[in-house]
Amino acid sequence: MQDFFDGLYQSFVKTFITDDRWVQLLNGLLVTVEITLFAAAIGIAIGFLIAIIRSTYDMNLSGKKCRSFGDYILKIVNFICNIYITVIRGTPVVIQLMIMYFIVFASSRDGIIAAIISFGINSGAYVAEIVRSGIMSIDKGQFEASRSLGFDYKSTMIHVIIPQAFKNILPALGNEFIVLVKETSVAGYVAIQDLTYVGNLIRSRTYEAFFPLIAVALIYLVIVLILTFLLKKLERRLRSSDH
Amino acid sequence: MKKILSIVLTAAMLCTTALALSACGGSSSSNSSADTKTVASIDDLKGAKIGVQLGTTGDIYASDYEEEGSIIERFNKGADAVLALTQGKVDCVIIDNEPAKAFVAANDGLKILDEPFAEEDYAICIAKDNNDLTEKFNTALADLKKDGTVDSIIKNYIGDDTKGKSPYKTPDGTEYKNGELHMATNAFFEPYEYYEGDKVVGIDAMIAQAICDKLGYKLVIDDMDFDSIITAVQSGKADFGMAGMTVTDERKEAINFTDSYTTAKQVIIVKE
Repeated sequence: MQDFFDGLYQSFVKTFITDDRWVQLLNGLLVTVEITLFAAAIGIAIGFLIAIIRSTYDMNLSGKKCRSFGDYILKIVNFICNIYITVIRGTPVVIQLMIMYFIVFASSRDGIIAAIISFGINSGAYVAEIVRSGIMSIDKGQFEASRSLGFDYKSTMIHVIIPQAFKNILPALGNEFIVLVKETSVAGYVAIQDLTYVGNLIRSRTYEAFFPLIAVALIYLVIVLILTFLLKKLERRLRSSDH
Repeated sequence: MKKILSIVLTAAMLCTTALALSACGGSSSSNSSADTKTVASIDDLKGAKIGVQLGTTGDIYASDYEEEGSIIERFNKGADAVLALTQGKVDCVIIDNEPAKAFVAANDGLKILDEPFAEEDYAICIAKDNNDLTEKFNTALADLKKDGTVDSIIKNYIGDDTKGKSPYKTPDGTEYKNGELHMATNAFFEPYEYYEGDKVVGIDAMIAQAICDKLGYKLVIDDMDFDSIITAVQSGKADFGMAGMTVTDERKEAINFTDSYTTAKQVIIVKE
């Protein structure tokens, strides 16, 4: 029994203390958080933009003939958005990351930017569909009421539709960001020193699987728990307007 | 008809976007070269951006330079490190001599520096509690060295005159009555182990085959990331690991090694 705990202690020291490996883990965590935050920001921006374009098309033009120049533009933009969603959702994120790193950013020496952009673009496609589902879930009456009160299309979207939609999609949106946090674990494929990569690095030096893997898993779990907590708080806050 | 047209259109648009983007990437290469460093000898490694394969001895040696300001980029595959070198993402790559030759032959504009970075012994790793197998392997390996099999396998893959002339053949009448042995390897390491079609071949694969034939085991090759090999062998997922693996003191603490079957060098690949 004593031997068992001694061995455990030894491998704990080897995994975390030797060569300041806990600092490496911390740095890996920072990289993971950095990639996730910026990618989420890009994802939200792209997602909302595309969702608004797609739902505008669905509500106004779907199945109808184009009458003005603007209609044609909307039709083309909607078509492009559809392609974007199809391609991004239809290919694995690792492949997208490698394309970004080895082909698009072939000459850049900063892998993190390539990762942020590719995870952001990836997340954007999913966020777009989530937001669209939210917008489409709002009763048509809301829209008509707002228009009859004199709001134009833009302010109806911004002041009436989106705030209500946001509340509906919050759980799904939170889901997407939790997935995003964990998806960044493939960044090591292109030599980015994220959390998973540091775990592998330590594993390759200590030749022990237990502590590095469990530690990395726990850190991801903690990140997700914090995220869940924040989302719950936001959800409760938004629900207060229900009464 | 409309559907087909839109698919064709999509494909065309994708291609043009990719082309346009990669063209942009290409043109900006000139201004990003400011922070590159030309590596002409081992002394230049200080402060350079060094590409390696995660967990290899090249990685371990290069990591000593981290304190001197070098940045180490660790890739899962040696080939990815070399690809990064051709794109100027790293200044040099430290890797084993023979794979280095294969990479340089496959990519224009790369060369191997004359001075070797380190010399080392390759051996087969086997779990610590499996002394029985280690002994069996050592005996078989000694026999194969004596009758020239190991030499002829190595010559079959290294050396311009001898390449492909002495492939290993399983002796007639070999029976696999002792069951299977699983070999963990990373089959992106020409000429030691690489894919030919869907089969893993190379020096290590053939020596392993020869050993298993002698011992009456059926050889099964499991391809995985290099840094997973030792843990796979430790945990019994594989019976032995063979992947151009150098004997080092740190590794010896975690695992047993057989006698060495060949020697190799770590070399530095740079852009011409």
